[in-house]
Amino acid sequence: MVSLGVNRPYVVVLLIPTGIGASIGGYAGDAIPIARSIAAVVDCLITHPNVLNGAQLYGSASNILYVEGYGLDQFASGKWGLRPVHQNRVGLLLDQGIEPELRIRHLQAADAVRATLGVSMTDYALTDTPLDVGLHLSSSGAAWGTITNPDSLLRGAEKLIRDGGAEAIAVVSRFPDEPNSPSLQAYRHGQGVDHLAGAEAVISHLVVRTFHIPCAHAPALQPLPLDLDLAPRSAAEELGYTFLPSVLVGLNRAPQFITHSPLRPVDRIDGLWANQVDAVVVPDSACGGSAVLNFSHSATRLITVTENQTQMAVFPNQLQLPALRLNSYLEVIGAIAAHRAGVHVETLVSHLSSIKPIP
Amino acid sequence: MTTHFITAEINMQESVADLHQEISATLSNYGQPLRWAVTSVDAQQQTLALEAVVTTD
Repeated sequence: MVSLGVNRPYVVVLLIPTGIGASIGGYAGDAIPIARSIAAVVDCLITHPNVLNGAQLYGSASNILYVEGYGLDQFASGKWGLRPVHQNRVGLLLDQGIEPELRIRHLQAADAVRATLGVSMTDYALTDTPLDVGLHLSSSGAAWGTITNPDSLLRGAEKLIRDGGAEAIAVVSRFPDEPNSPSLQAYRHGQGVDHLAGAEAVISHLVVRTFHIPCAHAPALQPLPLDLDLAPRSAAEELGYTFLPSVLVGLNRAPQFITHSPLRPVDRIDGLWANQVDAVVVPDSACGGSAVLNFSHSATRLITVTENQTQMAVFPNQLQLPALRLNSYLEVIGAIAAHRAGVHVETLVSHLSSIKPIP
Repeated sequence: MTTHFITAEINMQESVADLHQEISATLSNYGQPLRWAVTSVDAQQQTLALEAVVTTD
């Protein structure tokens, strides 16, 4: 007897915004174990580059979708869908401001990912002017950034798409070297905020907003001197000369965006849409982002993690967001597994009260 | 195109949908929003702190 599977896929979005000093996930891909664990109990995990990028190290699984933050916000709003792919041709855009030897290191990193991991890449491009990145730390303690020449970034991306046939863009920008700065020392020791993160997000957001294709960013920096107190959470970013491999691996299979307006009937069938998301997981103090607020309009369950502390101070109760507030990601994995199995988490206790009549 | 980092204070709204609209309206005064977040809530004043990067042509 053939059993027809009519189960609905269980889809989770994992959010750990970049540049907010998340104690888990705010360093060098240190949320990858969480992503891998959640992916093991769901059908599809959607998350963003900050979660999966560990410079030389990366997290990938056949059911994890690597979705850039701006694209994820549009997805959460219902405006864009996600169409999984087998692979993308990745175009590499290098900041003209990168000095020659460091540029060669990045090209060699790209060649390594092509030869050893089989990622498809177009010919690369240079921006026509240095991008000139500016870093800001706001009064909230979050890292933000601007770039002086965004048009040069967009011209370079357009060239890769038009002339190289790129279906995803990897951007590498020259960031300022500040080896002795207190914030970098704190970061290397697993504390504080990733000072570069805000600017990185702005760069990839610009490309996604303009061209509607997957994009991710890796900063170009000189290698740091040996630090005997390097924290495990930060160690992945000090293994080599670039941060590029994880970006290329992520973009290799990043889903394409469905942005047609009006939608075609096939888009609804082929694509993944926000109304199919069963749960969104976010640090408890970081509920003020676009994606969380969008999902709160829908049937998607909001699950927050109090152990993952951040510089933000927006808790679900302050915005009247119904949420399952759990202490740890271990509990989140359990709650998701239970929900997916049709088990109410409140029954997983040693004492359960009797059912009562409706008053 | 130019990128700008901006901060703003907005009033708490009755619903999340209204809050979203208020955020969009506030940011549109500065440019096209690229990335934004509500970073803190002042329960006494019933206001929210907003940080964002916007672009202008």
